[in-house]
Order: sequence, then C-alpha cells, then structure tokens
Amino acid sequence: MQHEDPRNGESAHRSSKKPKLSSKFITESDIRDEFSHHHPRVARINNGSFGSCPGSVLTAQRHLQLQFLRQPDAFYFNTLRDGITASRKIIKDFINADHVDEVSLVDNATTAAAIVLQRIGRSFAEGKFQKNDTVLMLHCAFQAVKKSIQAYVTRAGGSVIEVRLPFPVNSEEEIISEFKKSIEEGKSNGRKIRLAIIDHITSMPSLVIPVKELVRICRAEGIEQVFVDAAHAIGSVKVDVKEVGADFYVSNLHKWFFCPPSVAFLYCKKSSSSSDLHHPVVSHEYGNGLPVESAWIGTRDYSSQLVVPAVLEFVNRFEGGIDGIMKRNHDEVVKMGKMLAESWGTNLGSPPEMSAAMIMVGLPSRLCLNSEEDAVTLRSHLRDRYEVEVPIFHQVFKDGEEGVRDKDGFITGYLRMGKRAKCFIRNEEAVMKVRAAFHGINICVLPSSDACGITQFLKNQTKKRKEHRRRKLYASWKPRNGESCCLRGCNEVESLGTYAFLLAIDKAETSNVGIGMALLQMVRIHWSMLDQPKLLKPWLWVKHV
Amino acid sequence: MNSTSASAAVTPQPLFITPPEVFSEFSHHHPSVARINNGGFGCCPSSLISSQRQIQLQWLRQPDEFFFNQLQPGMLRSRNVIKELINADHVDEVSIVDNASTAISIVLQHMAWGFAEGKFRSGDATVMFHCTYGAVKKSVEAYFVRAGGYVIEVPLPFPVNSDDEILQEFRQALEKAKQSGRSVRLAIIDHVTFMPTVVMPVKQLVSICREAGIDHIFIDAAHGIGCVDVDMKQIGADFYTKNLHKWLFCPPSAAFLYCRKSNEISALHHPVVTHQYGNGLATESSWIGTRDYSAQLVVPKVLEFVNRFEGGIDGIKRRNHDAVVGMGEMLGKAWGTHLGCPPHMCSSMVMVGLPACLQVSSDQDTLKLRTYLRDKFGVEVAIYYRPPKDGEVGPLTGYARISYQVYNKIKLLELDTDTEKLLLLLLLLWIIDITGKKYLSLLQPKATTLPLSH
Repeated sequence: MQHEDPRNGESAHRSSKKPKLSSKFITESDIRDEFSHHHPRVARINNGSFGSCPGSVLTAQRHLQLQFLRQPDAFYFNTLRDGITASRKIIKDFINADHVDEVSLVDNATTAAAIVLQRIGRSFAEGKFQKNDTVLMLHCAFQAVKKSIQAYVTRAGGSVIEVRLPFPVNSEEEIISEFKKSIEEGKSNGRKIRLAIIDHITSMPSLVIPVKELVRICRAEGIEQVFVDAAHAIGSVKVDVKEVGADFYVSNLHKWFFCPPSVAFLYCKKSSSSSDLHHPVVSHEYGNGLPVESAWIGTRDYSSQLVVPAVLEFVNRFEGGIDGIMKRNHDEVVKMGKMLAESWGTNLGSPPEMSAAMIMVGLPSRLCLNSEEDAVTLRSHLRDRYEVEVPIFHQVFKDGEEGVRDKDGFITGYLRMGKRAKCFIRNEEAVMKVRAAFHGINICVLPSSDACGITQFLKNQTKKRKEHRRRKLYASWKPRNGESCCLRGCNEVESLGTYAFLLAIDKAETSNVGIGMALLQMVRIHWSMLDQPKLLKPWLWVKHV
Repeated sequence: MNSTSASAAVTPQPLFITPPEVFSEFSHHHPSVARINNGGFGCCPSSLISSQRQIQLQWLRQPDEFFFNQLQPGMLRSRNVIKELINADHVDEVSIVDNASTAISIVLQHMAWGFAEGKFRSGDATVMFHCTYGAVKKSVEAYFVRAGGYVIEVPLPFPVNSDDEILQEFRQALEKAKQSGRSVRLAIIDHVTFMPTVVMPVKQLVSICREAGIDHIFIDAAHGIGCVDVDMKQIGADFYTKNLHKWLFCPPSAAFLYCRKSNEISALHHPVVTHQYGNGLATESSWIGTRDYSAQLVVPKVLEFVNRFEGGIDGIKRRNHDAVVGMGEMLGKAWGTHLGCPPHMCSSMVMVGLPACLQVSSDQDTLKLRTYLRDKFGVEVAIYYRPPKDGEVGPLTGYARISYQVYNKIKLLELDTDTEKLLLLLLLLWIIDITGKKYLSLLQPKATTLPLSH
C-alpha cells in the first residue's frame, strides 16, 4: 500500500490536498485486515480507554522507527523536527487553530495537565497567586488530573473546588446550573479562581459537556484561565478550539484518532503568558517555546508523533472521513445502548445528544453493585469468563440522593460502551454476551444442522447443572422455515437465519415472561444487527427441567 | 549417531556470538555510513527490536488486559534486572524513566520544592562542571535557578592529564563557595562527560562532596553502563542516572534513576502525575499515562543479548575501550595531534585532536564539519570545539569524539567500510595540508573567492 512518506516536510501539495477520491471507500474486509492484530475472540467495547490503531498506520510507524535506528544522527538533524512540524500543521488545520505555534505534541493528556498545572504551581510559589486562590474542576475529572492538581496546586497552597455533576443527567442545563453554583462557592471569601478545568467528554461516567457555554460563563465570571481536558474529543466530536474559546485544550490522538500509542496535542491560545509554559522534561530547547521544547525531550521514540500524516490518509478512506466515522459511531453506540437499556429495563446515563461514541447504560440493580471493588470484579469477570472488555462505573450517592430505579431496586452500576464503526464485527455478539451474562444466560452458537448434538448437549448440561445445585430452565422451540410463531406473552417473531441458540436460563432470576422477552430481544437484535434476515434461523430450545 | 553416553561426553560449549552474527544483528544500520558516534544515540540489535515488537503487539492486541495483568510485573522485572546490574540494595531504589534528561528533571524539581517550601534559602548553590550536558544546564536554569538557586561552574581542564587536575579544580570551587558563605545543596557530576569526553574520578569527587557537607549528590552517567564500571554502593551517590539505549543496546528509549534509600526518597515525584502519585517514584514512573512502554519492558532480553558476548558486558566494555584507544592513537599519530586525555580516562569513546589546519574556531564550525563529513563522506562523528585559553600558543581547537561499539569494524589490516572511511579522511586532510584550505572554502560559503593555495 502506498503511503505518503512521513519524512517529507511540509510539501506544497499537502495544504491543498483534498480527501482522496479513491475509486471506492474502505470495505468491511479491509477494516478487518487493518485490525487483524486485535485479539480475535475478545469483544472490545472499550475503545475509550486505550484506543486502537490500524495496521497500515503501524507499518508507517515501524518504517519511521527503522529509519531512526538506521542512522539516528541524520534522522535527528534532518528528519525529526520537520516531521513533527508537519504533524502539528495537520492538527492545527483540524482543530481550527490560528497558528501552528499554538499546537504542541506531547505524549498524552496526562502530560499536558502536568504542563499547565506546573505553571500554576510556579505562580503560587513565586507569589503571583495568593494562598487559597482556587482551581475549579469537575468532580468526575480524570484521576490523573486530580492527582496533578494535588501535586502542583494543593502542595503550593492553592485550594480546589469540585463541581458535582448530576448523574444520570437529563439536560445540559443541569450541568450548567451546578457549574454556576460552584463558581459562586469558589469566589466566596474573596478568593480568586485562577484556573477552571473542564472536561469536554468526561471519562467516567462518560458525558459530553457543553464546554462552549461553560467557557463563556467562566469568562463572564472573571476566571483567569480555562483548561479544557478533551482527552476523548478528537475523532468523537467536532473540535474547534476557537469556537470553544479556552486558553488550553488537549486531546489524545491515540484514543479515537487511530494514532499509535501515544500522542496528544496541546493547544495553547497565543497570549502574553503562553511563553511561560514549559515541558517538565527540560532539554537544550528550553525557552524556545513549548512546541519546540516538546518536540525534543531527550532521546526517545517520536514515531507516534511523526505518523499523523499516515493517520489522516487512513481516516480519509472512510466515507465522509472523520466526520462520517464520528456520526456512524455515535448512531451505532446509541442504538446499542438503547437496546441494552430496554432489554434490562434500565436507563441510559444521559440523553443521546449528550453522548458521542460512548454511552453509559444502567446495569440491572439485581447485580447488586455496591462498591468500586464490585465494579472491578465484574469487569474482570466479564473479561476472563466472557471475553468482553468493558469498563464498569459504580455510582456513589450522597446522603439523601436517590438514583434511578429499575423494577428491582436502585441502579448503582453503569457500563460504558464505546463503539468504533464497524471495526469490530463481533460487537453484536459482544452485546449479546453482555446481556446474557447479566441474565444468567449462557449462549452457545451451534450449527443448526446439529439437532441431535444439541439435544445431547442439553442433557449433559442439565446433569452438570444439577450437580452444582443450580436450577436451570432450558427452553426449546423450533419453528419451521417461514413460519412465524408466538412465545407466551411476546409478539410475533419471524424465523430467520442459520444459527442456533442454546439458552440456559437461571430460573431463580427470571420469570417466564421475562424469558420470553429476553428471547424475543435476542432474536430481534441478532436479526437487526447482522442485517441478514434471510440467513438467520433461530432454533431456540427452551425446556423446563 | 551413538548412544546417549557418547553424546553426553561431547556436549558442545555454548558458543559466543560470532562476528557474522553481530553483523546480521546490526544489518539494519545504514550500510555505507561509518558510524563512529555511538555515544550520540546508541544502537539496538535486531533481536531486541523483534522482542520489543512482540511486546508492542501484545499491547495492541488487548491493551486493557495488558494494562491490568502484564505491565506492572514487566516493569518490576526490568527494575530487578537493573538492580542486580548496578549493585543497588533494594529494587525500590530503582525507577525506570525515558532518559537521563527526565531523571535530572525529577531531581531538580525536588530541589525547586526545597526552595519553595523553605528548606533551602535563596542563594543556595549547586555545583557542576562547565561541560555538563546542555539539557542538564537548562534543567538547572528551569528549576533550580528559577526557584532562587545559584550555580557554581567548575572548569574542566582539557586536554587533561590526570584525575588530580580535575579534583584540584573541584576542591577550589568548593572552597570559593565556602568562603562566599553559600550553602551548596546539590552537586551534579558526570560519570563520563559528554563533550569533551573524559571519565571522571567519581568516587573521589563524591568523597570530597561528603567532606564538604553537600546535601545531595547527583551523578549523570548517561554514558555509564557498558562504558565504565557501575556499582552504586561503591560510588556512594544519592542519585545516579544512566541511559540504557546508549551503551546497553536497549531500543530508544529507556534509562534508570537510582535513588539511595533515605527519608527523602518518598518526596521525589515524576513530573507527569497520574493516579499513582504518592506511591513512590518507582511506581509513579512505571505509569505516566498511556504510552509505549515496550523499550522499558524489554530490559531482561537485553541482558540475554549481552551475555552472548564473551565476558558479557564487561568483556564488551573492555574490548570497546581497547579498540577505541587504538583507533584514537592511530589517528593522533597520523595527524600529528594527540588524545584529549590519557587512555585510563577514556571509556568506549576517545577525543582525538583534529589538525589545526582545519581551523575549527566555533561551535558553528563543528556543526558544519560534522554535516560535511556526513553528507560527503558518509562518516558520522561528533566534533568538539575547545576554545583557546589566554596565553596559549598553537593549541588544538578541534577534537573528534570517536566511539567504538561491537558493530564497528576497525582492524587495521582489514579494509572494510569504517577503516576505508577513516583512511579517506586521513587522505583528505593530508591533501588539505598540502593544498591548503581548499576544503575550508567549502565550509564557509560566505567567502566569495576561493583562497589560492600557498
């Protein structure tokens, strides 16, 4: 595959380059190839944590790494600086920054937070800020950011105000009003709010925050500087730094923008004080501006920062480029989220317009998720037992707060589902696995021709289950081709497809009606997700034991 | 084939790595460049690049699982390997970071807090040699000086003839500080200086510091392991950092920072703060956000590679030293110049005086000469400008810093790429001497007329 040589500096044709009008867009099988290095059996619905990177970009990266090893001195003198400048220019255009000097490339959002907060710490130490001047942040800010505030702000004598975000949330107004309240608190007793740290998309629980509005409020209230932590933003939502209007804006490129681990951009609006920002790892470039300092922090592998042009090429192979990907991710994840919430009788953490490529889905209260530890245990269980990778959020309620209820109790846990458009073809199976896990349903996908084998398998399972003293209910139902049939209490289901489902349902947990609903949902989902109605023929065995 | 008893008797000895194997391990190096600057960016053999790639793929395959189950144990393994190598007491004393620049930032940030929190007074000093690495000097400016500290620079005599000359200068500087009433809070000492390169008598320097009551001693040994002996307990410093990608074959980049166990060790923090903040520097450094940790996880494999050589890392070091001194002396004789320091003060690098006719008279000239050698002759070598001192007559102002690593081939009786290049260099310079300055005009494009030979 031909790739643009990332060694080329800013070439004349690059700025006027339009998305490649290839004869066709990337196909499903191309995508499967690009991500063939992913574990084939694991359902990866946690793109938000560590991101993903396609094979063609990895190849480009490898090429750069070998170039360095081949002749490092020449690479350092002739290739490195120009290559990073080329990447920065691409980002600058993407985010609508005014000048490339406003864009620095760093390892990740955590590093960017350290850069900004280190400066705040210095301001306290050098007497520019008074003791007890405040830094404002959201209570669900990323843990590393909170610790960074502790390390640089609190240690230097500053204080912190946390904005408590309502969750689940129903509208942007709820967030805006909490924010305004916290600003009042922060300014009380004559304190000044020196910095507001606002997430564009929070991590846990995941919500899209109305940053533009919040930044406007900050300006109106005289908050000196605003730092937007948009780790998840680029590739999930539209990023326009001028529109957002913050002083600092950071986003990881390896989460939703297909870069290899790891690289992020930090945008710093040009101002009188922007020259006082420094990378914490000091090199001989100290004092030459943050972008130049960040482009050389000692000998290390800079290939992930140099590979941005190759990433742009990859993204433009999709219909609609990054915008198309974002829209499809959003639509799919909302669809999946709604389907899960409906089948579990739970809720979504936020309205669809406040989610991007991730959505929070309430977990059935009968899971009894009562602590952070429970959430971690559940996550490990899903990974080890069901090969599903999905983060779980445990909701802590303050005194007097009540959460949302489902039919059995309060919902204390949420699952954060992240979707990458059609990159993981097993997503629908993953979703089914997840559902099944919580219904106590085991799914086996067996060839439908193996009728005898299935019956035998069932009998064996029954024996095993008896040994473990779990009461199992097996359902069996076999429609003929073209026949439509009814399950008690359910609507009609058309018979489709060639897969068979073997369901073992824990009777203690679901009523017959519930089982019926579950089965119905299962069939519908599989049918709609795979989009191949003619090929699906569900042979469902539901047998009372 | 006979029975087991016979085969047991003829079990072959494990073979050491052979020259063709070494050649193939470094076959990814540019084939027509004479790489005599290993001290710049180091090198990495193909087998380690493959091991590193395995780790990278493992991460990409299932990053969450890798993060939860494999990353921390892997980092701990690397730290244990290093602890054994450097004779540290406890693995908690060993943190893995990107490079020596990161390590110095960690230590200096800690010093800056000392000023901010009133432990140090404005005007308290740090002492370092004038040839300390540029990044270290800038780091001192960014953290120490900015917080109110003062810098005392010790001139390094160069060319130098013995350890005593260095110790003398150092003692004098500390004496001056004492007389001016300054407290010296931190001493920054290179184990092997970068430019010009000299092996410093660190053990004696550390004792002098202790005698003078200096609180903290930081040894910047970017060129340490694989270049000189490294034994933490023997050296006795508070902080010691070393790059593993320069002379220990790690892929770029990995380094360790050793911090002697003391009350203060828990107050050291990595400047990039994560949820691990407060769990000790070693733990903090092993997670500084999502990034590629493969170069740091591959350290155990590095030991395996090194032990394929006869004598392991010590054997490599010894052979490098002997070869580079041999090369240096040959060049010195051919050019009528000399080495920058006696052989026992050389590591795997040596400074060779360049002929005066080259008229290296500024740092800019060194860059131009270096670029010229790279572009026109495919020779990669670092050049140093040594400013003449007052009253000196006809001093050498230019030196080449020659490195030798296992992939270099310099056997005077065998003509191969590197030797050919050096001979060409010799020839070139000899021609210059005769025709005079024709080459210089190529370096100085500002000259409008070509100087005529005389």
